[in-house]
Amino acid sequence: MTEEPSNPIGPLARSFNSNPATRGADHQQDSDAALIDRVLLRDQVAMTTIFDRYCSMVYSVALRVLKDPAGAEDVMQQIFFEVWETPRNFVAGRGSLAGWLAVVSRNRAVDILRRRKPSDPVEEVELASETNLAAEAERNIMMEKVRNHLDKLPRDQQDQVQLAFFEGLTHSEISALTGVPLGTVKTRIRSALISLRGAVQA
Amino acid sequence: MNNNAHIPKQDLSLYAMQALDASEQAAVKAHLDACEACRAELAAIMGDLALVAMTAEQHPLPEGARQRFLGKIGADRIGAAQAADKKVVSIAVGSSAQKPRPRRAAAWIPWSAAAALLLVAAGLGEKLHLANIELEQQAARITSEAGVNQRAREVLDVLTAPAAQHILLTAGSPRPAPSARAVYIASRGALILQASNLAQIDTGKTYELWVIPANGKGPIPAGLFRPDAAGSASVVLPQIPAGVEAKAFGITIEPASGSSAPTLPIVLAGAAPSAGE
Repeated sequence: MTEEPSNPIGPLARSFNSNPATRGADHQQDSDAALIDRVLLRDQVAMTTIFDRYCSMVYSVALRVLKDPAGAEDVMQQIFFEVWETPRNFVAGRGSLAGWLAVVSRNRAVDILRRRKPSDPVEEVELASETNLAAEAERNIMMEKVRNHLDKLPRDQQDQVQLAFFEGLTHSEISALTGVPLGTVKTRIRSALISLRGAVQA
Repeated sequence: MNNNAHIPKQDLSLYAMQALDASEQAAVKAHLDACEACRAELAAIMGDLALVAMTAEQHPLPEGARQRFLGKIGADRIGAAQAADKKVVSIAVGSSAQKPRPRRAAAWIPWSAAAALLLVAAGLGEKLHLANIELEQQAARITSEAGVNQRAREVLDVLTAPAAQHILLTAGSPRPAPSARAVYIASRGALILQASNLAQIDTGKTYELWVIPANGKGPIPAGLFRPDAAGSASVVLPQIPAGVEAKAFGITIEPASGSSAPTLPIVLAGAAPSAGE
């Protein structure tokens, strides 16, 4: 019935072994939503924690689009400053903060690349993803899954996703560039995203 | 209303990436404003796009980027403080302006000095504020690590406390043989030895532990110890050089002050497993 008397070493061993886990939990204790709540109260420590958690991801996405470290840093600084200034634009129900930051970073960088006005106010970006990506480890696992999946797609389908997403080309531009009919471009991009969703949920 | 014709999902994917042509983009936007079902699908697509975005290879921030951001969010408060300071200064200017006769230069020097001081104070305040943020974060880190340290200390205390009883469990042999167990991390020069059933030695003598280097150089003395009444003893983290790969460990009996080279015979010895084991 009780495991303690039959295993006197258990409690010590367990508590000792569980320490690193507890420490990990402490480290991740503040959920993104709790941090945003604190940012609403102008808590600079909470804002710094959000920054430290996601800065390299946001910077890397912008850098992938712009291929210019200074420009990518500008995008990153601007996005985090917006979170600081108007945290209300990001409230629970808009999906994961990580996903939101990644998409906004890509959109802002593409706007700069294409020299157009910011066409997508942050408050309009809404994500359905419920996946918790606050923990770096989970993010890494997810990225690995997505990368592996994209790598398995036919070469030209990969290229079209990349051109639309990271190069910010329109479907007509992709069609003109690759010689692939417009309808095919649309279908391929759509099916790539659908299969990605399936792969991640699997 | 164009609710009756939902946007094809292909087009929604492209819309999410702003990859439609401008006129198409506007048409989709108009429909989305009126159609909840399409907005929900768009949100799902945005979730997919977040995953694509995160496939970008990760790079560290440019140097100073973090500090620049901290400066920005700290600057906010400082900006407000400076605005308040300016009010104080402007009252002073106002009061001197009421006097129609120009005052001597010396009269406004204190005010400009005060203004300069306020600016310096604001600058210092900003630095102090940033330092405080760093400090709070460090405090949080220290708290989470303190628990782990506490645990490590307790383990060490149990291993080394004079009151600790060391019991060797064997298969029933009447007189267990002396033995010792060494734990060694060459890269850190960290060594812990636990010995049991050691024979008692004369008061003028001591046991001495030796690290025998793999490179063939002379044995390195790694601590003196005497067994307790039960024959147990330990050596915890003696001062030895780091980075010495050990071939073996040995224990000898030496004069009470220790020796710089081992005196034979070696009473206990053990070979270190080769690296990587």
